[in-house]
Amino acid sequence: MRAVGQPTALLDARARVDGSLPFILNLTLPGMLYARVLRSLYPHARITRIDTSIAARAPGVVAVTTGRELAEDGSINHLYGIGHPDQPIMAVDKVRYVGEGVAIVAAETIEQAEAALDLIDVDYESLPSVDNEFDAIAPGAPILHDGADRNIIRHFKLRHGDVQAAFAASDYVIEETYSSPAAQQVTMEPHVSVAQFDGSQLTVHTASQSPYGVRRVLTEIFNLEPEQVRVIVGPLGGGYGAKGHVRLEPLVAAIARKTNGRPVKLVATRAEEFVIVTKHAATMRIKTGIMRDGTLTAREVTSWWNTGAYADAGYMLTKGGLLRSIGPYRIPAVSADAYQIYTNRPPAAAFRGAMAAQGEWTFESHMDSLAHAIGMDPLELRRRNLLREGDAWATGEVMHDVHYRDCLDEVQRLLGDEPPIERAAGHVRRGRGAAVMMKNSQSPSRSEARVALRDNGRATVFTSSVEMGQGAHTAMAQIAADQLGLPVDSVDVVGPDTAQTPFDQVTSGSRTTYMMGNAVRRAAEAVADEIRQLGARRYQVQPDATTLADGQLYASNGQCLPYSDLLQWAGLPKIEMLREFQTESKLDENSQGVACSHWHQGAGACEVEVDIETGKLTVTRFAGASWAGKVVNSAHARAQDQGNIIYGLGQTLFEEMVFDGGQVMNASLADYPIPSLLDVPYVLKTSSLQSEKPDAEMYGIGEMTLPCVAPAVANALYDAVGIRIRTLPLTPERILRALREKDGLSVDQVEEGTG
Amino acid sequence: MTYTLHVNGDLYQLDVPPQRSLLQALRDDLRLMGTREACGVGMCGSCTVLVDGKAVSGCLTLVPQVIGKQIITVEGLAKEGKLHPVQQAFLDHHAFQCSFCTPGFIMATIALLTEKPQPSEDEIREYLAGNLCRCGSYPEILLAVRWLIENRPSDSWESIPPEEQPSVETNR
Repeated sequence: MRAVGQPTALLDARARVDGSLPFILNLTLPGMLYARVLRSLYPHARITRIDTSIAARAPGVVAVTTGRELAEDGSINHLYGIGHPDQPIMAVDKVRYVGEGVAIVAAETIEQAEAALDLIDVDYESLPSVDNEFDAIAPGAPILHDGADRNIIRHFKLRHGDVQAAFAASDYVIEETYSSPAAQQVTMEPHVSVAQFDGSQLTVHTASQSPYGVRRVLTEIFNLEPEQVRVIVGPLGGGYGAKGHVRLEPLVAAIARKTNGRPVKLVATRAEEFVIVTKHAATMRIKTGIMRDGTLTAREVTSWWNTGAYADAGYMLTKGGLLRSIGPYRIPAVSADAYQIYTNRPPAAAFRGAMAAQGEWTFESHMDSLAHAIGMDPLELRRRNLLREGDAWATGEVMHDVHYRDCLDEVQRLLGDEPPIERAAGHVRRGRGAAVMMKNSQSPSRSEARVALRDNGRATVFTSSVEMGQGAHTAMAQIAADQLGLPVDSVDVVGPDTAQTPFDQVTSGSRTTYMMGNAVRRAAEAVADEIRQLGARRYQVQPDATTLADGQLYASNGQCLPYSDLLQWAGLPKIEMLREFQTESKLDENSQGVACSHWHQGAGACEVEVDIETGKLTVTRFAGASWAGKVVNSAHARAQDQGNIIYGLGQTLFEEMVFDGGQVMNASLADYPIPSLLDVPYVLKTSSLQSEKPDAEMYGIGEMTLPCVAPAVANALYDAVGIRIRTLPLTPERILRALREKDGLSVDQVEEGTG
Repeated sequence: MTYTLHVNGDLYQLDVPPQRSLLQALRDDLRLMGTREACGVGMCGSCTVLVDGKAVSGCLTLVPQVIGKQIITVEGLAKEGKLHPVQQAFLDHHAFQCSFCTPGFIMATIALLTEKPQPSEDEIREYLAGNLCRCGSYPEILLAVRWLIENRPSDSWESIPPEEQPSVETNR
């Protein structure tokens, strides 16, 4: 029986239920110190004086350092960032957001480190600050980064066809503006890193989705060779993009330089989590030309991304955001602009379904508005315009393996017509809505894997892909097992540890099953070829006259031998192969060319109940579909499809980081609710669609059913009560207010919500 | 202050200040890492343990409050290498992804089914709403709980280990 496609339990399932899973959070090393970070209380201020002398003498304190000290240390490069290195390890001359690190203390106990923070004296001179993306680009706005003349980091654009001419020739041109707020990823395990210097050798144990990304940044900051930095990553207690790039690692490594070789552990508190990384708040203006028969003629989208005080990963993410703001439709003329904008907020970066969630919210809500404007069924409008095999998209690239319509058909089938929708029942009204999902995969992209078959008959996959509950390691074991002719439980997975597992770009963006999966498949295939060569020698047959199954080599002449015996016969302790897989892309300055080799595809449809007296919206039924090509692990594919929907319901219905004067007002799970069992729709159905081709590719499905949640629910809300809300989340206050406005009542007759 | 804690059938002597939370005592003093902190304010349930059979948030409970009471953590569930039926049901139903919250859910499920062996769907959702799973494994958790309700194991369900003469260990 082939392992791929089975509902295989996670390799370490037992440790997951008996509490022994080795999270980095649990790590204690001999002589380990504990660090705490002093963080800015101002959104924008000059640091005029900082005095750590009293803190340095406090009980238990071993080391203190400040951003200024690191900036003045000629042996390190204290600025980092992906594509745009603008972020200091800690603030130097000025702070740019509430929560930015100013100083760090390492002490014998965490309580002593915490107490020492109070003894650090910092004088600030407050500066005018900007909170939202429009204030930041208004004339006269305070500039965050000295030397820059504006707060726009980068403007990405796409130009395809003559949009203005197409608008002029359209029956209707409809423009809307949508916005969505900052949100927090809320990994249950907080960010945690442990760093230790042994001479010039740096070892970092960290909860990160990007072991090689962390290593690269640390080598750059501390002027070390790659071999001098070892990054070890354990199982993650959730990632969702929050751990996709360096976070605590530079900080904890910086203080570990001063502890005489003693390791230092830094764990973020829940409140700190809210200022370490967020989802991008974004505003998008979308304008579409349409003919009476529903043909789309042109689209223009401008998106403003609130990236916070530092570029972080937002630089490359905004480029993705540009492509994710357009939609999976045949539109002859498209123009899009995306601006990455500094504000005095914590840095924004990847958030499950990165940048696609904000884009989908806009263009899939807008599709329903277009349908209503011309009096067409919204699903019919989509079907008429969705990309088909061989169509050219807005980048000019020809689209292959196109399944948007299949995904939409599937969710409509899953949602079902039984029982038929009861539209009105007193104060409870019902409606249905749907949305389609499109996201470019990360490209260019590269993964390496090493596979070893040992003379005890077991195999090991060495991978730097991170296991964060999505089942990556188990999927890799399944893929290797099939190539090697071994049962899954004969395959171990090791990593990530940059000292022994080869390069992987990052574990994010639903890339692992495809990228690392193909690297593992190739490495295991190469090992299998070697086994066949040995078998051919052993039994004097041609290599292609051998078969591998159940841990044995079968020769066409009827003889067979376990791998362990075969390797021992050959005198080989192991057969080990390293292989890589990479993808390319090329877009010009107008984003014309090829964006990626594979486009993520999905859809969602739902039924909601709206209480018109309270504004309360309940999602009663939700159906989601993702295009998988080939499902590797059916149990965990389902878990991803369902988990995405539940995660997405949070940002749809209630999740929002509330800022006041740059300060996060709800940095606690008491004030920032995330979905619980009470938020799970009673009917929740999902499906990962597969190709019928035997050689179908295995694609990741880690995000596909998430970005469609918000627009599907908003479209169902419109279907139920005829109101179009263009700001997330869809709170009872917003719904009630919109209902009153629709009825011609003054908004003052609605009590203002508090948050 | 010196306190004696009764955890998973063993007695431990702890020399800790009275404001020490049960969560800190379990993790930092006894090194029982299955009990976890995610929110610190009693909202997420990741630190759920059983105190005299009741589900309690370890982060909101102080060590002096549980003196003389029997505390069970996820480490105390498996017997002679055999998983507790609730652990086994979670495993069999893939009822976890990152698993950070899983021990808390397992402890809360034991408390639920001890208090109410045949809860309704809404009662399950209400009871377990105090435990948060950000990965969204809720549907599989519901499957596991429903399976347990239908297939209540005949062997001992007791979460409290039989009384024995525990040896005293200290953290200092």
